[in-house]
Amino acid sequence: MSLATSRPNYVALLRDSGAAAVVAALLAFPLLGFKLDASARGLALDVRLMWVVYAAAAVFAGRLFFTLIIQHYGVHFVDRITRAELLPRYVPNRLTRYASRHHVGLAMIVFAVLLPWFGFSDRNLIDKATLILIYVMLGWGLNIVVGLAGLLDLGYVAFYAVGAYSYALLSSTFGLSFWICLPLAGLFAGAAGLALGFPVLRLRGDYLAIVTLGFGEIVREVIINWQVVTGGPNGLAGIERPTFFGLQLLPYAKNGGTTFADFFGLSYSPDQRIIFLYYLILVLALFTNLFTLRIRKLPIGRAWEALREDEIACRSLGLNPTMIKLSAFAIGASFAGFAGSFFATRQGFISPESFTFIESAIILSIVVLGGMGSQIGIVLAALLLVGLPEWFRDLAEFRMVAFGAAMVLIMVWRPQGLLAHRDPTLHLNDGSKP
Amino acid sequence: MSAAKPILSVEHLTIRFGGLVAIDDLSFNAAEGEITALIGPNGAGKTTAFNCITGFYKPDVGRMSFNHPGGKTYYLERMDGFRIAQAGVVRSFQNIRLFPAMSVAENLMVAQHVALMRASMFSIAGFLRLPSFLKAEREARDLARHWLELTGLSDEADTLAGSLPYGSQRRLEIARAMCAGPKLLCLDEPAAGLNPSESLALNELLLKIRDDHKMSILLIEHDMSVVMQISDRINVLEQGRLIAEGTPVEIRNNPDVIRAYLGVEDEDEVAAVVGKGA
Repeated sequence: MSLATSRPNYVALLRDSGAAAVVAALLAFPLLGFKLDASARGLALDVRLMWVVYAAAAVFAGRLFFTLIIQHYGVHFVDRITRAELLPRYVPNRLTRYASRHHVGLAMIVFAVLLPWFGFSDRNLIDKATLILIYVMLGWGLNIVVGLAGLLDLGYVAFYAVGAYSYALLSSTFGLSFWICLPLAGLFAGAAGLALGFPVLRLRGDYLAIVTLGFGEIVREVIINWQVVTGGPNGLAGIERPTFFGLQLLPYAKNGGTTFADFFGLSYSPDQRIIFLYYLILVLALFTNLFTLRIRKLPIGRAWEALREDEIACRSLGLNPTMIKLSAFAIGASFAGFAGSFFATRQGFISPESFTFIESAIILSIVVLGGMGSQIGIVLAALLLVGLPEWFRDLAEFRMVAFGAAMVLIMVWRPQGLLAHRDPTLHLNDGSKP
Repeated sequence: MSAAKPILSVEHLTIRFGGLVAIDDLSFNAAEGEITALIGPNGAGKTTAFNCITGFYKPDVGRMSFNHPGGKTYYLERMDGFRIAQAGVVRSFQNIRLFPAMSVAENLMVAQHVALMRASMFSIAGFLRLPSFLKAEREARDLARHWLELTGLSDEADTLAGSLPYGSQRRLEIARAMCAGPKLLCLDEPAAGLNPSESLALNELLLKIRDDHKMSILLIEHDMSVVMQISDRINVLEQGRLIAEGTPVEIRNNPDVIRAYLGVEDEDEVAAVVGKGA
């Protein structure tokens, strides 16, 4: 308060902003100051010292601006922004109520189902929506492990990779169709989940996170180095596209089959495949959601949550922590496997580059920012974290700034996650069924 | 000791942590249908003994046989903690260990996990909502309601366990242990932190559990008003050793016990204290 009334001390102010600018310049010098250009003549180093100056100037101005605002309006102004009093809290708070959440969930599903038929929907939009839905599904799958069972998993992408490679290899080697490979990919990924689960049974929290991180890297290294099977860094190309109940979504029928367009007497359009893939991932994701909602109310789901709350108490009540952890790992992993085989069939090409640690980090961020355990929160977080950078693709290298900004904003706005709320799995008193 | 087999018999239990002998050749029995108390000054090894019995520690020496009323004998020193609980020895904790973010009712449902899991046939019957599973689920709820009623928590069934007041959390922990279907209920300081009226209610609850549910109870307690009023037999530990065993009246007048508690060393002073006590 005293700050707000006193005259600003301009010397201190300038010194403070200057210091911030110097730090910014030091950071920007290696990060922004140089750029490698790949040209026909080979690599060339492009020195961009002006960028460093811009960065320092921007930080100087920003720091000055915010300090002045604080001095003028008082510290409480900033407090109110960060405590989100000026941001709409109304919406998330309403969403934490069961009835309205139920309706919002239904509305979102209806919107998702109708999306391809809106006037504004084009190929690009459906493609992006498909990508977002992959992450929604991965988020829902990881939520079983992290949100319900409380096992911090930083290597979730490994199971996604196992699923993707399972489909690619099964379909190219044995000629199996997508619909046979899908459960198999889930099975293999679930087995990988068990394989990870065994050594980490005694670990919790940070230690578990480190080992799962290592597991993710091991899987990626194996894919890179096992060239005979996985194609190594070159990846696998020409992965079979999925069929619509045996009807090919291609311009011309292959191997004596029938195309979707011919069968229904339509003219071929690439949109058909895009929309089909969109609905496919929508169904897979909704299946994941339905599964989670159901299993939460079964003994095993309650045991997962109890394990998250207190492992020792679980033990004292006769719950076998080994079984509970392994089932969470295996089931969470198999959903990543489903998503992975969808990813492979959608891309038609997979390589180890799609399964780096950053993918695990993004999926985990989606779960955490969504509000651990909240199914709708995960959808919103996926929209923000995956959607924003996609829509900001025009910004080229600054695209990831949108990712970072979305992350920081969510944490400032709702530190507990977008929709941190948990429905009890049963009610004893009001007579309603769970 | 009656002719009947004790439900729990601990023989020559010894456990060391590095150089420290936490429990030294401890032997005692808990009779079926009785409340057996384990008392002693701080650091006497009561909770350590509990942790051995319930499988959280593995003793260095000793045998702990649990004679299930059904006839089977379990050797607890060879079993995992969760298997001991499945066999029928269920414990509570000195520092309450509920599932705080889950509702009171859910806490009681988790306690019935083993039975419900069997009914759900590894979740298959659960997913299909088969009648057998729904029936088991209904019975589990009824059992939960029963214990909520007995512990006076019926109105709190749908609140979060972590938001209950302290005394209610203590009672919930007992209700949860009872929902796990024990044959021997092990309570680690259930009266800790309770006010006099709450610990009076606890006495009634424990007596009711013993009499109406034919439950054998092993009790660690600091609160003498609880121990002396409800225990059938008392075992006194000091520095890991058993120094006295008997009924509450016998224990109250035992000079060794008084010395252990009051720290009196002179024989005359002990006589004086005992004299006053008697």
